[in-house]
Amino acid sequence: MAEVLLQVEGLSKRYGALVAVDSVSMHVRKGEVRAVIGPNGAGKTTLFHLITGVVPPTSGSVRFGGSDITRLAPHAICQRGLSRTFQLTSLFPRMSARENAMLAAQARHPRRWTPFGGADVFTSARAAGEEALAQLGLSHVADRPAGLLSHGDQRLLEVAMAMAQHPELLLLDEPTQGLSVEETAQAVETLAQFLDKAHITVLLVEHDMEVVFRLAHRITVLHRGAVIADDVPEAVKANARVQEAYLGGIE
Amino acid sequence: MQKTNPLPALGGFAVICLLIAAPFGLPVFAMTLLTELIILGLFAMSLDLMVGYANLVSFGHAAAYGLGAYASGYMLLNSAMPLPVVVLLAALLTGSVAIGVGWVCTLATGVSFSMLTLAFAQLLYAIAFKWTSVTGGSDGLAGIPRRAGPFSITIFTSKTGFYYFALACLIGAYLLCRALVRSPFGLVLRGIRENEAKTLVLGYNTRLYKITVIAIAYALGGLAGALYAPFAGFANTELLFWLLSGQALIMVIVGGQGTLIGPILGAAFFMLLEHQLSSYTEAWALFFGLIFIAFVLFAPEGIWGLARRAFRRGRAPAEAHHG
Amino acid sequence: MSTLALLLTQGVNALSQAALLFFLGVGLTLIFGIMRIVNFAHGTLYMLGAFIGYSLVRLTGSFWLALLLAPLAVGLIGTAFELGILRRLYRRDAHAFLMVTFGLALVTGEAVRLIWGSDALQVPPPPLLSGVVFLMDEPFPLYRLFLVGFGLVVAVAIWQLLERTRLGLLIRATSQNAEMVHALGVDVKLVRSGVFGIGCGLAALGGVLAAPLVTASHGMAATAVIDAFVIVIIGGMGSFLGSLIGALLVAFVQVFGNYYLPDFALAFMYLVMLLVLVVRPGGLLGKEA
Repeated sequence: MAEVLLQVEGLSKRYGALVAVDSVSMHVRKGEVRAVIGPNGAGKTTLFHLITGVVPPTSGSVRFGGSDITRLAPHAICQRGLSRTFQLTSLFPRMSARENAMLAAQARHPRRWTPFGGADVFTSARAAGEEALAQLGLSHVADRPAGLLSHGDQRLLEVAMAMAQHPELLLLDEPTQGLSVEETAQAVETLAQFLDKAHITVLLVEHDMEVVFRLAHRITVLHRGAVIADDVPEAVKANARVQEAYLGGIE
Repeated sequence: MQKTNPLPALGGFAVICLLIAAPFGLPVFAMTLLTELIILGLFAMSLDLMVGYANLVSFGHAAAYGLGAYASGYMLLNSAMPLPVVVLLAALLTGSVAIGVGWVCTLATGVSFSMLTLAFAQLLYAIAFKWTSVTGGSDGLAGIPRRAGPFSITIFTSKTGFYYFALACLIGAYLLCRALVRSPFGLVLRGIRENEAKTLVLGYNTRLYKITVIAIAYALGGLAGALYAPFAGFANTELLFWLLSGQALIMVIVGGQGTLIGPILGAAFFMLLEHQLSSYTEAWALFFGLIFIAFVLFAPEGIWGLARRAFRRGRAPAEAHHG
Repeated sequence: MSTLALLLTQGVNALSQAALLFFLGVGLTLIFGIMRIVNFAHGTLYMLGAFIGYSLVRLTGSFWLALLLAPLAVGLIGTAFELGILRRLYRRDAHAFLMVTFGLALVTGEAVRLIWGSDALQVPPPPLLSGVVFLMDEPFPLYRLFLVGFGLVVAVAIWQLLERTRLGLLIRATSQNAEMVHALGVDVKLVRSGVFGIGCGLAALGGVLAAPLVTASHGMAATAVIDAFVIVIIGGMGSFLGSLIGALLVAFVQVFGNYYLPDFALAFMYLVMLLVLVVRPGGLLGKEA
């Protein structure tokens, strides 16, 4: 059994009387693709925010690769090897796709602070960026300004940027958000092939069940902020509580 | 691969040659104006680093100018240090103070940040009035000499010598800024400008980058002020007044932010207006303000931005989207 | 004098200062509430009010007339500015607004310098109010007492306007949801222009009232805009009650700080501003930062 890379223990977030995340625990192993699903408002994105330091937890802890990252700032957590994408597309619209990926890659370069010269930093960042673009099938639009890419390509560019950082854990927040049926199918195929080859640990939030069953090794189901199931896809499909939570069941 | 366009480099080289040859052709009063332009251009360019490259709108850049001027003035009056040393020390001092200022101001963003920079400049303004023993109070420091260099190098005491020193400072500062914005550091600044939240999420400590830019911008602004004191022979509280901060911002916007060259053009435009119009009307500064508003409304990329756009349209479309 | 007398006189002093600051702050916060912009020209308009007040007093000999007309004049100037220039910017980002109101501040500042010269100008208080009263046997300027009363009256008037009148309802509604108000058939643009004008007028009112105390000078503008900003930050952008609380807080800090540590007053203000911005970027009662 692979080692546990991400260890979430009793993580909670309260906003006054509202409990957004209720004592969530989960262990993600190296190389695993873990999906976190649940109906709207189940707390999936909040959970992501808690893990990546965007929102401070009310209680509980997050351990990554053995060390406690619970109270670290977002940029520090990123430096530890966690890269994430967001539900709402956030890119550098006037920079080209390649430059977007370069900037992402550069963040992990030890000499990125170089105020002068730094040609070698650019070279390695460029290489990492272009490699990530290729992995996600975006090489043909590398020179196009990110703001002008199709919505599907933009979502994939976000993933490419996260990948350009050579993360140990990749967090994808609804990668197919806002995509049409065809765009989703294309994106999922690209992601599936990429994940097959990359053998990277992934934590994935998704709404779309088809996407989840295509990509995930294991599924954690949230309902009203708490975990109600944590199992392989077939078992989760058959789980009565899960079906109930989704009001009408998963297909 | 990209074709490197030789035109800008050639143009720059030509301008520098002209500037070096200037003292041999121009009359004395024109040389004085040119020296003033170089100092003002340096001041405006330093602000562009913050405004145009990192989206940090400062309403208090006069703080850098005034601090540099008072520091160099004080040192020239009270010590035997040669001029170049004094000027560089004053710039360094300003940059060091700016680290603290930057640390404080970056606790906020947006308008609050701008207000904090203004508040700091006001603070310095008030201190300058009160700390009479050092700053001369409302009278300021007068009779600031241009001290000779070591080994009796008297070159800076003459107007021409001083001009070359100021020119060297401007060119040096420009090359420094240019290298900075083209470096990995500069790429991060672009990211902060376009989408700070994303830059932070990518793992960059954006606040540290902002503080660094502020320190460098203030240091260069202080360099300009440090040159002004021996140039004009005095330093007073007017150099810390918010109207000066405003004029610097106007030079950056009207000249073209984010271009380094633009603000220098903005300074030239400002001085042109001042010297041409002031003989007709005292209201020239008012017109400058109105022109500023017009630019913000109708031509936000400024003079140099417009020129670059027009120039690019005249070239092959394939190259149009670079740069 | 005894400590009690000291506290009393300085306390009333602070209240009078709070009144002036309130006029500054309430205008800025109203403008922000409606338009989501920070009017950088607010300090210069305050100064303009003081100078116009000076001229009106000299022209008509009546302080009361100046008190009425100067804010009106500045309010009209503000409205004209909004109609002519600010309207074009609603589709642009917040930076453009800041720059343009900054430009207005510079233009106004230069205009004041041109018209009235560079020196500070004395404005005499109205003869009715130039005496002293005795608080616990200590002389206290009647004018300052008047400020406290007048400030209270205006504060209540604005409060009633916001809470009880149709205009006030429109203002509050527009600041919460402009689109909805527009959908209900109201000309939101008119409301905006009106509120901007009123906000500018209130700043000028503060300036006229301040003139007999601090003289009309050029340094006024920068200090005023920072003061106004601090008040609004403390009280919360867009909050009427917040501007009242902010004005009181700042006034008391300024007056008592000035008394006990006269040299550090400005540094103290800077510190307070910092603290509030760090602790609550949205202010104490605010909607958004």
